[in-house]
Amino acid sequence: MTDHEWLAAAGPYALGVLDREEQAGFEAHLAGCAGCRAEVQAFREVAGLLAHGAPAAAPPAGLRERVLAEARQVRPIGRRGLPGPWLAAAAALVVALGAGAGAWRTARRAAALEREIAARDSMLAALLGPEVHVVSLASTGRAPSARVFWNQRQASFVVTAFDLPAAPAGRTYQLWAIAKGSAPLSMGTFNTDARGRAVVMLPADSAITRLGTIDLCGLTEEPAGGSPQPTEQPRLVGTWRHTD
Amino acid sequence: MERADAVTPDRVLVQRMQAGDERALAGLYDRHAATAYGLAMAIVREAADAEEAVADAFAQVWRTAGQFDPGRGSVAAWLATITRTRALDLVRARGRRARALDRAALGNPAGVATPLAAVDATDRGVERSEARALVAGALAALPEPQRIVLELGYFGGLSQSQIASELGEPLGTVKTRMRAALEKLRAVLAPQIAEGSR
Repeated sequence: MTDHEWLAAAGPYALGVLDREEQAGFEAHLAGCAGCRAEVQAFREVAGLLAHGAPAAAPPAGLRERVLAEARQVRPIGRRGLPGPWLAAAAALVVALGAGAGAWRTARRAAALEREIAARDSMLAALLGPEVHVVSLASTGRAPSARVFWNQRQASFVVTAFDLPAAPAGRTYQLWAIAKGSAPLSMGTFNTDARGRAVVMLPADSAITRLGTIDLCGLTEEPAGGSPQPTEQPRLVGTWRHTD
Repeated sequence: MERADAVTPDRVLVQRMQAGDERALAGLYDRHAATAYGLAMAIVREAADAEEAVADAFAQVWRTAGQFDPGRGSVAAWLATITRTRALDLVRARGRRARALDRAALGNPAGVATPLAAVDATDRGVERSEARALVAGALAALPEPQRIVLELGYFGGLSQSQIASELGEPLGTVKTRMRAALEKLRAVLAPQIAEGSR
């Protein structure tokens, strides 16, 4: 899809009516397109006003006190952009609220949520770190696409991929860090789901962290378990750049 | 609501909420609860669910006030998005369809939104009744096929392909109508949006 075609998706996206796959594609595009972000923001205001189009209904008398009473139970989460610990606090809070809010939410579900949140928490921490580098991988600017975030301090990568058909049985995708003048180093393996999507976190080994500068990042398809060196030309390739 | 609160901008109330100021939350509630509740009632089937959705939405606004970025939109739009999402989540958790789908279905051209003539003139707060009249007018001015597509999506929680199968129309037609409807609303509501983002 061209950038111009994506622009047309901004309104439906803001309204919340894009189909799941289109939404994932648009969100991947959105990360790198200020024009579409501005368009989404404008349409979000339109969508917000649509709430006034619903038939008038007076809130029940007890609702105001309920809202205020619930607020007394929790403290607001700290400001945007604060590093580190608030993530853990936020996760704990979400779990606490999840466990108490409804009868159908069992303790088991809370425990599963806690694990899920802990995993997401460490992924967020890797993404939001102060020294995160990012690389966008593409073939010719069209789908499939992938993005790799490199948190040097934590020695971890977060990989997101879209419209990348899952590698067949017995095969896997493998990422390579390429520094000028040295052989590609494996960053790890992953596969996409049936919808061609993946969001995974890969730990970086010491050989990678010692590299210092990584110039390029490439993606190949390899036998399951990965290869010591790439066995084909990269299907996707990208240049590292710093996030601001 | 205290008179002084009527002039405090929403974003200032949200700033105060970051510091744990409950009165700021009360002020925000007094200003937006009726709109949020009306929206929730258009989506869910039971009044108890609408109450739940609105309580959840304000709880989320309270907890995440620190992450609100005024540079990215108004508090009202943020709250509406959260309320709609919460209400649709509840409907789905119950394994049901949104209430709006009954009325927005082809068989009922009256649609979901309030008819222009029925806009509540006795609405508390002049600003809100102005917004209601403006939005009702903007929706009423849309060609019916465009309005139906918009309402099935926003109040009914259907994606564009779900709308297409609901109406038995091609997806391309639904997308075209949706975009046309959104562009018209954007043009008509622009003055209101400029005012809301002060």
